[in-house]
Amino acid sequence: MFSLPIVALLIAGAQAAVLTLQSPKVVVSSSSGSQLLSETLSLNRPLSTPVSLEKDTTLKLTFQVVEKDSGNGVQPHQTFLRFYDEKSGEEGIQPVRVTPGGKAKFELNMAKPPLSLPPTADTPLKVTLIIGSPIHTPFKVELFDLVVPASQPAPVHPNEQTFHPLPEIHHTFRPEPKLPPRPISLLFSAVVLAPWAVLFVLWSQVSIRVPHLFSTSILPFILTLGAFEGLLVWYWVDLKLGQVLGYGAVLGVVTILTGKQALSKIADVRTSRK
Amino acid sequence: MAPKTSSPPASTNVVHTLWKAYNEQTSDRLKFVDAFLFFLMLSGIAQFLYCVLVTDYPFNAFLAGFSSTVGQFVLTASLRSQVNPENRNEFKEVSPERAFGDFVLGSIVLHFFVYNFLG
Repeated sequence: MFSLPIVALLIAGAQAAVLTLQSPKVVVSSSSGSQLLSETLSLNRPLSTPVSLEKDTTLKLTFQVVEKDSGNGVQPHQTFLRFYDEKSGEEGIQPVRVTPGGKAKFELNMAKPPLSLPPTADTPLKVTLIIGSPIHTPFKVELFDLVVPASQPAPVHPNEQTFHPLPEIHHTFRPEPKLPPRPISLLFSAVVLAPWAVLFVLWSQVSIRVPHLFSTSILPFILTLGAFEGLLVWYWVDLKLGQVLGYGAVLGVVTILTGKQALSKIADVRTSRK
Repeated sequence: MAPKTSSPPASTNVVHTLWKAYNEQTSDRLKFVDAFLFFLMLSGIAQFLYCVLVTDYPFNAFLAGFSSTVGQFVLTASLRSQVNPENRNEFKEVSPERAFGDFVLGSIVLHFFVYNFLG
């Protein structure tokens, strides 16, 4: 089943005629009309010397496309001239108009170059003729090397510079804060702890009476207050927030009960004293 | 309260009189609380001096310490004013026990936040 299209292609390939060029010629003439170069091109190898064009010279390429066996002129489907820059990989394709009899004439005027010509580089452009036709075998021949005058530099896209990597960012960090020298630290530790001494001296001078401090109704309250402070110090050292809030809630309930009891006792003492 | 005069001997006289009056007329319990207030003020001043003069390097520690003294001062001052028998007319609906209860609650919450921030 699959062999059918393949067989058809093979038959078509076997039936297809081979193309060739008759009298291919390249002529370079200056603007005044004098001929600078006139060469007949060979189909086996390109010209040995490159054809060089100046700003005001014109290159004319003439040939006739014929079938190899019969010699009849053919107007192929596609006839292209390819200008190829090997070093940069740029290529330009220029279609060539062919008459129904197969005659073709291509003119390249450097005063008005075709847009498809690649930008000029150090190496000369390779000029190739490519002919395509559905009823003939494909035809490709390398004709000559072309040296053209320097072109304008390629236009730069307005956004070109945004497509390059940005300069590397060097982060700078604030230097680590330093501790003050030891003697100053010690001095100020003494200064900050000194008020405690002042407090104890003042308190010793004020003789305060706490008559009921250790009675059974007041002591639990004092103890729960102490427990609260202890819980907070434990939180500072070890506990996590959820834990301290949990313990604190439980201890708070206990404190409320003992506090109510203690303060009502004190209130009774105060009102009875009055 | 006698106003301060400009001439130095009279002003020291005024201060002396003020101090004597305070000593004689304030009850012991209020003096107890006043000593605590004075201590808190000294402690706050000492910490602030350190921060200004030397460094504020563990800034969270400075904030915790300083705010503990200031907060405790505020709570104790309000307790003192509510408990003082001479202010009975101002605080008719607040008994001294209620004031002390508020003081305890406020102190515990303040201590919790201070320990939280102390690091």
